[in-house]
Amino acid sequence: MQLTNVTKSFGPTIAVDDVSLSVAPGEILGLIGENGAGKTTLMRIIAGEIEPDRGTIDVGGTIGFVHQHFMLVNEFTIAENLALVGAGDARFENSNRLVRDLSVGEKAAVELMKAIAKEPDLLILDEPTSVLTPNEAQKLFDTARELASRGKSVILISHKIREVLSIAIARAMVGERTHVAPPLRRRTTPAESRLYVRNLSVGTGEIVAVIGVAGNGQAELATMLRDTLPRETTAHIPEDRTRDGVIAEMSIAENLALVTNASAEELIATFGIRATGPRQRAGNLSGGNQQKLVLGRELTRSPAIIIAAEPTRGLDIESTAFVHEQLRAAAARGAAILLITSDLDEAFTLADGIHVIFRGTLSERLTPAEAGTRAGQLMAGVR
Amino acid sequence: MRQIAAGALAAIAAVVLLALSGIAFGHAPGELLSTLISGSIGSSFALHGTIVKSIPLLLTGLSVAIAFRAGVWNIGAEGQFIVGGLACFLAARFGLISSLLASMIAGAAWALIASLLRFWRNAPEVLTTIILNFVGFHLLGYSVNGPLQEARAQYPQTDAVAISLSTSGEVVIALSICIASWFLLYRTKEGLRLRATGFNPFAARWAGVHVNAQIARAMAISGGMAGLAGGIELLGVTHRLFERFAAGYGYSGIAVALLGQLHPLATLLSAVFFGALTTGAGELQRASNISASVATFGQAVVILTLIGLSSRAKRGIP
Repeated sequence: MQLTNVTKSFGPTIAVDDVSLSVAPGEILGLIGENGAGKTTLMRIIAGEIEPDRGTIDVGGTIGFVHQHFMLVNEFTIAENLALVGAGDARFENSNRLVRDLSVGEKAAVELMKAIAKEPDLLILDEPTSVLTPNEAQKLFDTARELASRGKSVILISHKIREVLSIAIARAMVGERTHVAPPLRRRTTPAESRLYVRNLSVGTGEIVAVIGVAGNGQAELATMLRDTLPRETTAHIPEDRTRDGVIAEMSIAENLALVTNASAEELIATFGIRATGPRQRAGNLSGGNQQKLVLGRELTRSPAIIIAAEPTRGLDIESTAFVHEQLRAAAARGAAILLITSDLDEAFTLADGIHVIFRGTLSERLTPAEAGTRAGQLMAGVR
Repeated sequence: MRQIAAGALAAIAAVVLLALSGIAFGHAPGELLSTLISGSIGSSFALHGTIVKSIPLLLTGLSVAIAFRAGVWNIGAEGQFIVGGLACFLAARFGLISSLLASMIAGAAWALIASLLRFWRNAPEVLTTIILNFVGFHLLGYSVNGPLQEARAQYPQTDAVAISLSTSGEVVIALSICIASWFLLYRTKEGLRLRATGFNPFAARWAGVHVNAQIARAMAISGGMAGLAGGIELLGVTHRLFERFAAGYGYSGIAVALLGQLHPLATLLSAVFFGALTTGAGELQRASNISASVATFGQAVVILTLIGLSSRAKRGIP
């Protein structure tokens, strides 16, 4: 089996980046990498379950795939499950039991039987031991060795290095960027938390930007700050203005009164909101004007802290310039501003310091000049 | 304006459909209509009946309106009405004020069970409040067949309470609550926050509103008003508790609130309309031998008409 320069992305996320890999007959290849490093994606490409964006695959034989999550029909018996793929049930003592009633180890055995029933040339085992007892794992490895001794190839995916060392003949590692065989590094983020921030500080009169590919923890950061900072002195400009910003069913004046006692007429005038008046329903405003309403509501209070997430998304050039001006003016008044944005130009224009957020972790603080050269790599997770 | 028009249209639709349905029973529509009107507002006796029916409907309608305004689907006014009546009965010997307060507290506590289940287990109020209705109903059934049964132990009902409330007293309390509800919703910061929570809890949260506190408070107010309705009904009308004490007032409150477009002042009109409908339907039964359950039919027509109108509005059809 030969894989050459395979790349696959899901939206902005590159799951598999330019990977080349080969397995010879009789070989057991161990594939090591963290959760989410792209191991499973790589295997699904080999198995033909997903199409790569680029690269070639030469399988040269049949494939058996034992998925990480069981692909069994719980309401069927063992025999019925095996019959679905045309496999026999000779190995099982009582194959009339429902899969639902089996232990995890037994289910794994059924999965394995399904995969090897047709004598595949390549057997892929995706994290097979995560649910097995050591004994059951040993049995599985025995089966893998037996297959290899008969000239078949096996790929064993695992994040347990010891396990792979004990069985694999060849080894490959899938790192943070899914290059085969870069040095394996442990991530600093605790596995359970989606966000890990310990080095973020914004001084008085400062604008600090957090940039990154969407979905790397920006929303969690803003939400965490919302729930911890005192609302009286903090302005929040949420990213999703239709869901989190305005209450469509309420008037402009009512939306305003939720947060401040400022006059709606004045706000409409200062922030140039195109509206018929304070009693207009906020839902009837255009997107840009809704954004201005939120900005106006939050900034008229002269807050000490401003958390602005994507404050200019969907605004025209003129309105964007106006918002930038407002943020600068707020900083000049002494507000500490955290700007969370996916618009790099915005960050470079406004910020005194820049952090890159990647998988919930903030980079160290960079000057705009440093960010200019390093942001791209940091956003992709390369350090 | 559109909302008022929708409400009026639904009310008219209900009356017209009721009148037309009379044809099926061999009655002229005009004849039915005049019986409905004379039986509800045609005499001082009929008018008194309408007022007495309207008061619990107004209170349960306001109860539902406040909860719905906060985005909480409190379907439990019926159960809250029952426990309010029970608490009022038990506290009756402490005087009028105490017993009415007890009914409010009991209703609020009953409603807050649903909020606690929401916060602890994320259980939807629409289910928990309905289930609590059944619990309340059977609690009352047990009480009037057991510990609270009348001294001579003949019927499944309690003895009559020693204190009572005049109809004018009922009217004063109900109207005060109605105006207070309007003031709370539309003239205070807390009311603004409550409505914001109902419209869009996400945006409310970002605007600094403590959403869970609003939900719990709305539920307590809602339950308190339904409980008070039960207390007033006991002291002013039935004077004793029996299994069918709530008589569906809690469920009818949903129709009242919806016809009132969840606005307290419009809910007053809506309650009087349904009160008149129920009273008129009683006269219809006596005079034309048509089942009084046509009033329930009228409620259904109102709700379905409103649903039809609101979904048209959402699709952008004028």
